[in-house]
Amino acid sequence: MPQLRLTGRGLWITALIVPPLAFVALFVVYPIISAFAYAFFDWNGLLRGEFVGLDNFHTVLFVEPYASWTRNAFSHNIIVFFALMVLQNGLGFFLAYALWRELPGARFHRIAVFLPVVLSTIIVGYLFKLFLHPLFGVVNISLRGMGLGELAQPWLGQSSTALWALIAANAWHMVGFPTLVFLAGMQRIPTEMLDAVRMETRSEWVKITKIVWPLVAPSATVVFVLLFVGAFNWFELPYVMAGLDGSPFGSTDVLGLYFYRTAFGNVSSGQQDFGLGSALAVLIFLFIAVIAGLITVRLRAREIQL
Amino acid sequence: MSTVTTTYSDRPGLIATLGRDGLIQIILIANTFIMLAPIVIMIFSAFKTTPQIFASPFGIPDFTNLVNFSRIWTQTNFLQYLINSFVVTGASMALILTLGTMAAYALARYEFFGAGFILMFFIAGLTLPLKLAIIPLFMLMRDLGILNNQLSLIFVYTAMGLPTTIFIMTGFIRTLPNELEDAARMDGASEARIMWSIMLPLVRPAMVIAGIQNVVPIWNDFFFPLVFIQNDRLKTLPQGLTTFMGEYSTDYGVLYAGLTLSALPIIIIYIVLSRQFISGMTSGAIK
Amino acid sequence: MPSTIIRIGAALAAMSVAAPAMAQDLTFWSWRQEDRAQYEQFIDTFEAANPGITVTLETFEATNYNTILATALAGGSGPDLMMVRAYGGLESIAVPGYLEPLTTETVPALADYTPEALAAETVRADGKVYAVPFASQTQLVIYNKKIFDDAGLSEPQTWDEFMALSQKLKDSGIIPIANGTATAWQNETVTFDFVSSLMGKDFVADIMSGETDFTDERFTSALAALKDLSQYFPDGFIGLDYASAQQLFSSGMAAMFGGGSYELATFRAQNPDLELGVFAAPGRTAEDEKLVALYFDGGYAANAAGANKEAALKFINYLASTEFGQAFADNLNNISTAPGVTFQDPLLAEVAELNATSIPYLFLVNFRYGEPSGSVLIQSEVQKLFAGETTPEAAGQAITDGLKVWYEPFQD
Repeated sequence: MPQLRLTGRGLWITALIVPPLAFVALFVVYPIISAFAYAFFDWNGLLRGEFVGLDNFHTVLFVEPYASWTRNAFSHNIIVFFALMVLQNGLGFFLAYALWRELPGARFHRIAVFLPVVLSTIIVGYLFKLFLHPLFGVVNISLRGMGLGELAQPWLGQSSTALWALIAANAWHMVGFPTLVFLAGMQRIPTEMLDAVRMETRSEWVKITKIVWPLVAPSATVVFVLLFVGAFNWFELPYVMAGLDGSPFGSTDVLGLYFYRTAFGNVSSGQQDFGLGSALAVLIFLFIAVIAGLITVRLRAREIQL
Repeated sequence: MSTVTTTYSDRPGLIATLGRDGLIQIILIANTFIMLAPIVIMIFSAFKTTPQIFASPFGIPDFTNLVNFSRIWTQTNFLQYLINSFVVTGASMALILTLGTMAAYALARYEFFGAGFILMFFIAGLTLPLKLAIIPLFMLMRDLGILNNQLSLIFVYTAMGLPTTIFIMTGFIRTLPNELEDAARMDGASEARIMWSIMLPLVRPAMVIAGIQNVVPIWNDFFFPLVFIQNDRLKTLPQGLTTFMGEYSTDYGVLYAGLTLSALPIIIIYIVLSRQFISGMTSGAIK
Repeated sequence: MPSTIIRIGAALAAMSVAAPAMAQDLTFWSWRQEDRAQYEQFIDTFEAANPGITVTLETFEATNYNTILATALAGGSGPDLMMVRAYGGLESIAVPGYLEPLTTETVPALADYTPEALAAETVRADGKVYAVPFASQTQLVIYNKKIFDDAGLSEPQTWDEFMALSQKLKDSGIIPIANGTATAWQNETVTFDFVSSLMGKDFVADIMSGETDFTDERFTSALAALKDLSQYFPDGFIGLDYASAQQLFSSGMAAMFGGGSYELATFRAQNPDLELGVFAAPGRTAEDEKLVALYFDGGYAANAAGANKEAALKFINYLASTEFGQAFADNLNNISTAPGVTFQDPLLAEVAELNATSIPYLFLVNFRYGEPSGSVLIQSEVQKLFAGETTPEAAGQAITDGLKVWYEPFQD
């Protein structure tokens, strides 16, 4: 392998590689490393104060009121992740299976299921907020119109329904993504394997569990990891539909909102704390990295066995 | 991407097959209805007055009634937001594709010391949720003097888009044959000339995939403008939408018209280029 | 693409050339984008009287204003003059030393400001005033006069009358009270709009002196009454956002709105035909004092590190004057805090009159100096109360326990 010499060729490669490298270094790597560093300092507004070791981490994890805020937000992210796992990825798998048959109109269905995915989360959030308006929303108007007025709810105003309304909006928005990733996986299953299994059984269920599911496992790994990262970065949808405080009374609060509030403050608590905010960011980051890593290793290991 | 496309229907039991396929068709139609209904209601409502929306939320409107749209056009900064989104997205895409192709080309076509490490460095950026580094980014933009300036967005989007672009492009450029390149080198063509006139025309398909994968999240992004941009004249569409939705609060016709206008550009492009969109946006997940 | 960068760069360069650092050129930052035109007029008046000094106004979005200002000040690129928030919001800017302290020597007019107004712009630790307070806001009940007249109703004198008239409106198919509480901060405002008189001045005084906490019966019974009153809010009000609630009132679908004096202008803009009235929600008996809740919005401050401090102080003195206060009240329809201002607008005059019997808007004025802020606590507890997920007693306990973390008078 030729060593890098400062010949014309070396200069040429350098010229090609340095500008993109500089961008990623300055705007991705440096900020992320800094986020770790920031978390170890006391902050006075935007001025860095003294080194405080692990104090900020201790505060967000164990000192009230931060400890209960952290727990509350974290538990909602967990709910969101598992709920979307079923509603979004689970449904996506079965929709993909249905689309895979290439029945008449499949192309149209495929375009339709992916259409919401290209929309901005802000648009989706506002759209569902308008639909769920307690007095003027399409949902309650329709329920009243069908004589089911007692089912009309202030969907976004009560803790029993608010988070689920957000989850439903997210599932509607994103279900097309796992659907088409799974579909692409299914379309790559060799025909011979299907024929072989068809000899043995006529049960759809056996076909799905024995052949289809194992063979789309690589897609599943990626879809699971992306959903996991997405669920723990949830911000736009709750911001638009529930507000920065995770209204009502924190029942839709998630780590993204909580982190933003802590770092940049909100109307009702003018305080902003970059130290605590950075500590939260680091914890969320480490959590995502470790769990996403574990999911990948576990699922990849299973892929190989099959 | 796909090796063998399997479309299959079982031969035995025609009735059973028909019944099962019928069920599947019903499920698909129901799902498509659920997917499209909110968008159709949104578009229909944009042509209605607020009382009409409440009285008949599902009725077909008079499509010549453009009052809501003209109010948006004349009374709000909507057009400005739209232009800003075009500027920011366009500039970011140009930078991403230029820089991404440069790096991918160098990594894919030349062997040099540290190439593997540099590729790893770029790919590491793939998985990092940059939102969590918003505090240092905020400070960095302040130090660079570009807070409340669209350059801050363009730079962040470029840095965010580069890893996926380099990943996709490097893979693609590696598959290109060497013969053309070698022949040109024999003829004494410079490295720059080989890249520009011989190799670049071949990488266009990968550029489309990488472009689509980045253009949608950048066009739709809300988080970075929320932190970096304060001046109303500089806001991008998703961010401007939050201002607008607050101002028009319950003039439902106008609100739906605003949502429709924001959604329409991307819906139209998507319908025209649906195959490219789908493969572009899912390409990161399909391996 | 590169041409875009060049163009943006050129535009920036042009801007910095267009604003040369002349000896007497001042910059003035504000979060009141909607008042821009009026402020330009005020500045013209000042410039006419002070030749050689020019003031350039820049406005920013209200929600992020503090972050932007703090950023600029910390980076040494802050304005010469600026609007600053009051109470806890002031301290985050003033404590690091960015603001010039004001005294009656440098700004003589301050001597005639009320102590409450000055307290809003004073840092608790050093007792110094850092800004000239510009406006007070009042939390009260706004009502639709026409609806009241048509139904033969008048402003209620007792809590029972208040409930009875709400019932009467509801029976006749009008939404009695427009408020919705899905927007978190609305829970704090409705509390002080409707039950300030039930809490009473004594309770507030005892809280401020640390003699009691929020488990006090005077507070919890007020919350119970608020919960009772909420039956006259719109159906599903816990899912109703602030903007929709405003719209219900300004469109004439609802008779009353618990809100702030800052909302009068909004309602007039939304529906110019609306005949507005204001009252302070009553206490239990007609003899109980009818109280509104009062606080101060913000103030005008000068940069401690500004290059033209002398000129900046001239402008601050102008902003502190009765002349300016009068213009402010007349043009912006706000309650100016400047001494000796009279209100031409009858509604504003009425608000000013109501301000004479008031309690402080408690959680902003006294409990926004630590985390969790009192405002965050009362907002979420009242929201829970409305949703039926807590009791008034438990809410009072939760607020007290939350504040205990940093509020020393509650700690023993």
